[in-house]
Formats: sequence, structure tokens, C-alpha cells
Amino acid sequence: MSSFPNSQPTASASGGRRMARLARPVAQFGLNSRSVLAKTASAVLVIVLIVSLTFLASRVFTADPVNLFVGNSASTETREKAREELGLADPLPVQYLKFLGGLARGDLGRSYLTGRPVSADLMSRLPATIELGLYALILGISGGIVAGVLAAVNRGGILDAAVRAVTIGALSLPQFWIGLMLLWLFFVNLQWLPGPSGRLPIGMSPPDRITGLYVVDALLHGQTDLAIRALRQLVLPVITLALGVFAPIARLVRSAMVESLESDYIRTARAMGIPTARIWFAYALKPGLLSVLTIAAGLVGWVLAGSVLVESIFAWPGIGQFALTAIKSSDYPVIQGFVLYVSVVYVVIWAILEYVYSRIDPRVRAQ
Amino acid sequence: MRAAVAHPRRSAKTAARRRVWSLRFGIVLLLALVGTGLFAMVWTPYPPDAMGVGGIYQPPSLAHPFGTDRLGADILSRSMDAATTDVGITVAVVALSLIVGSIWGSLAGFFGGWFDYLTMRVLELLNSFPSLLLAMLVISIAGPGVLKVIFVVAVLPLPDYVRLIRIEIRSKKTWQFADAARMVGRRPLGVLFAHLLPNSLRPVLSYASVNASWVAATIGALGFLGLGIEPGSAEWGSMISRGQDAVLSGKWWVSFFPGLGIFLLAAAFHLIGDGLSDARTKGGRA
Repeated sequence: MSSFPNSQPTASASGGRRMARLARPVAQFGLNSRSVLAKTASAVLVIVLIVSLTFLASRVFTADPVNLFVGNSASTETREKAREELGLADPLPVQYLKFLGGLARGDLGRSYLTGRPVSADLMSRLPATIELGLYALILGISGGIVAGVLAAVNRGGILDAAVRAVTIGALSLPQFWIGLMLLWLFFVNLQWLPGPSGRLPIGMSPPDRITGLYVVDALLHGQTDLAIRALRQLVLPVITLALGVFAPIARLVRSAMVESLESDYIRTARAMGIPTARIWFAYALKPGLLSVLTIAAGLVGWVLAGSVLVESIFAWPGIGQFALTAIKSSDYPVIQGFVLYVSVVYVVIWAILEYVYSRIDPRVRAQ
Repeated sequence: MRAAVAHPRRSAKTAARRRVWSLRFGIVLLLALVGTGLFAMVWTPYPPDAMGVGGIYQPPSLAHPFGTDRLGADILSRSMDAATTDVGITVAVVALSLIVGSIWGSLAGFFGGWFDYLTMRVLELLNSFPSLLLAMLVISIAGPGVLKVIFVVAVLPLPDYVRLIRIEIRSKKTWQFADAARMVGRRPLGVLFAHLLPNSLRPVLSYASVNASWVAATIGALGFLGLGIEPGSAEWGSMISRGQDAVLSGKWWVSFFPGLGIFLLAAAFHLIGDGLSDARTKGGRA
């Protein structure tokens, strides 16, 4: 809990409190206080715990998945046979051990709905989600930083008010509604952008796979037209997703900048005649960047969740949509696979963050 | 910018004026929505669940200011009815996590020891998964129902509440006013709940209002995905979801107005939170 300033004097207490709130998930691993091995072990433990809880909850509380296969009116005999085939006839502890054994071998079972191995199904949908989430994160974070800086240096001005209005709007408007209204405006009315038909317009075939990201792959193959088509499909879902990343970052950067702009070292820098833009982005921004990093890492989780909503609106064939279908139809193996995927991403992101922290922040490095 | 640097006092004043404005406007907006929700329990222009009170997919008009949906139901009436559900659930969720979080965090911060340790480990586990996804998973497993939704959505932000209160109590329990209360013979729990807790609520209250806007959006998202509240019931999120196809054929009003409801509710809480949190950092003791 090293990042919680418990007994600090009043002046920095509120700032410290804010930092503590932002930095909380970082603190949970104990910054640099344990060896990498111990951290990895605890990360694996957390993942196993989460996956086990999902397993338990989905077996104990949900509707009987056998119904998915044989229907409600099937005879007891048929039902038992299906149960046997699905491996649901074993006692719960046996099922659990089998599940853990499979997990250790990278076998997540087969989807009840598609009948294919869950890991293959997830992997085939992963690039779609990565393409969406990656661009949204890049756009949202860079846009948020620039907007936050501009708002801070224009404090009280029109630009500040505009950024404030956009951020409050983006934080308060439901994401799925933004997506829908963007579609209405740009697809139905103005007809500038394509409708919700997934990653490519209907009837077009994707480029040969290199990275799995259509725009990148198409460019690598020199298919400029295809790349533009794929990019146009991306515009609306990416903006929808990016707005939710943009807003918290812009707010955070603004408040951190306002604080640092009033400090003495900025006045000194100004007196030394350093160019204004350099003062803003290189000097005044720096102290706030740590908390931006923390928030950005948290926003990865938000993008993962948001992808479920956005993918369902834009018919985007990614993991989010796949998971939603699974959730709605009690497709346990897929739900478990999805939970595993999300928690692994989460743990990895926090581990990276911790490493970056230790590189940037001299106080953390010294510990 | 020059002005901001040269006259910090003047900009502090502007900031103060802005946060007062923000707080007032947020409260008025919230009261208006609560009023709408309460009012809708007695009267709506048309019965919210009645089909065919107007034609199918009528655009907004004087008779139907928000238009009608695919069953010919009046969207204004349904949106008003939904305000009861959405505002009610949001308030219930926030109240629940505020109360439980405050008590839990107080006890953990005050007594420390194994209880505190256990608390932190539980919170870490809750934090190691994105909240909205967790809500979706748990509710899909637990099945639909308003009470279940309230309970699940209230549990998710608990870690933040507990942490905020815990830190406050931990740092304040050694302050003189706590010592004074002990010296006049207050028992530990009395010191905690009569002296320490009331003096530690401010940050958690400002967090609660920011959290409330997350709750409003989450309730809407669950309704949109058809998880939680009975599908087809008058709830902003599920109304938006039902209008999805209509919007894509140009009938924007079907989803637009319910979304406006969620926006106003979330924005009200944001404005209140902004007002409270700025007041905390700029003025006052902290």
C-alpha cells in the first residue's frame, strides 16, 4: 500500500487522496516491494481465483445448458445422454478438476453453440476487437492529452468551456446511444459513412492475414482501396469507444496542468525564454503523466467492457459480441474463456504499468 | 493563460463561481428528474404500456411530443414512466453502496488488524475485473429482477467507497478531536460513528455523485443488453435497444428521447460531483 499517503499533512492530502484513488490498482501489487516471481505467482493466483469463481457461479446458479441442445420437452433419457456428452454428469468437484486440467493445457473446452474449441473461436475474433480497441485508445488518449493541455492554458476561456462541455457530455451520454445517434447522423442522414455491417462492406473479402488488422494488412498488400474501405467502417465505432477514453483523460490532464502551470519552475522556464509549446507539453505536462498512465491502464478495462456494447451496435465480429451471445445463451465454456481473456489482459496491463512506473518515477525507482 | 498566472486570485474566484453554478444546476436537474419520476407514478399523458394510442412510428408532434414507437405507444409517457425506474434504481444503488461502504470502510480503518487485511484482499479481487463486465456476468447468472440489479450494481463500486472512508478514518483517528472524544469517555464505536465518520464523509460524498452517473449509465447499459430488468419494460436502456432498428431507418426519436433521460440523470450527478469536489480541493480545510 505504498502509494497511500496515510498521514500526510493537509495541503497535499486532497491531491494525495486523488492520487491514491487513481493509483489504487497499482498499489495492490505492492510497487517493487516483491520479486517478479512473487508478483507473477500472485497474478496467476488472482486469475485462477476469478476463473474458479466464474466456474462455480455458472454451474450453481444458471439455467441448465442441456436445454440448449435437447429442448425443454426432451425425454429424461435424451437429457441424460446429452448431459453425459457435455461432461455435465460428473459431480461438481470432478468437473472442476477436469476444467482446471484443461485450462493448464490451454484447452478451454468447446462452445455449446458453435461446437468449435473456445480458444480457436476467441482467437479468430481477437483481431477485430484489437483493431477497434487499439485505435480507440490511441485516439482517445492523444486527443485527451491535447484537449486537456489546451483547456488548462486557456483556463476560464472559451476553449476551456468547450472542452468541459464535451467531457461532461461524453461522460454522461450512454455509449450505446452515442453510437446509435452517430449512425443515424452519418449513415442514415448524411450518408457519409457506412452502416453497421462489421469490419468490411458486405460482399468484400478481407486481405490476406498478416497482423489480422484489416487496415494494416490491406496497406501491407498495397490494396489502398480496401484499406480505405476498412478504415471507413472503423470511424464510427472507434469514435464511440474513444469518447469514453478521451473524457477522463482530458479532465485529469487539465486539472494536473492547472496545478503545475502555477508552480515556480514553470515561471522560471518562462523567464528563461523557452518556447511556450515546449513549456506546455514538455515541462508542465510531465508531473501529470503518471496519473494519466494509471487512468489509461484502467481505461483498457473500460474499452474491453465497452467493446461489448459497441460491437453489438456496429455488428462488429469481435470478442465482445461473441461474449454477449454466450452470456445470453448460457454458453459456459465461452463465458469462462472470455473471463479468462479479460482477466489476463487486465493483469498484464497492470504489470506493464507497474514496470513503466518504476522506469519513470524516481521515487518508485528508489524504493 | 497569462491572466491565470498573473492573477491567481481572480481565477480562483471564477472557479468558485463556476462550481457553485455547477452544484446548483446539478441539484435542480436532479430534482426535476426525481419530480418527473414521482409525477409519472400518478399521471402520464397516455398509459405508458398502452399500444396504439397513436399511429405506429409517428414523428414528434403536438399530440405526441416525443413521437410513438413500433407498437404505437407514446414515447413521452414511456420515458416518464422509465424515469421512475431509472432514477429510483440509481438512487437506491448509490444509497446502498454509500451506507455499506461507509460502515465497512470505517470499521476497517478504525480497527485495522486482520479485518483490515481481509478487507483489502477482498477489494483487490473485486478490482481485478472490469466492473461493467462483472455486472453483466453476474446478472446473467443471477437472472433478471430489479432487486438483483440494485444489489449487483451496488457491490461493484464498493471498493472505492471502502478505500476512501478507510483512508480518512485511518488518518483522522489520531487527531485531537478523536482523542478529546475518547477522553470524555466515549466508547470506541461512539468515537468512530459519532465523531470520526461525520468528519470524513466529504470525499466519499463527492465520489458518490460521480459514481451515481456511472450507475445511471450502467443501469441503462444492462437494460440495453437485455440483462437485468425485464425486457420490454419501461426503462431507458431497453427503450433505446428496442428503437435500434427504427433509428437505422431514420426514426431517430424512438431511441433519442430515452437516451436523453440517461444523459440528464448522469449529467446532473456529474455537475453535483464537480461542485462538491472542487469545493473540497480549493476551499475548506483540505
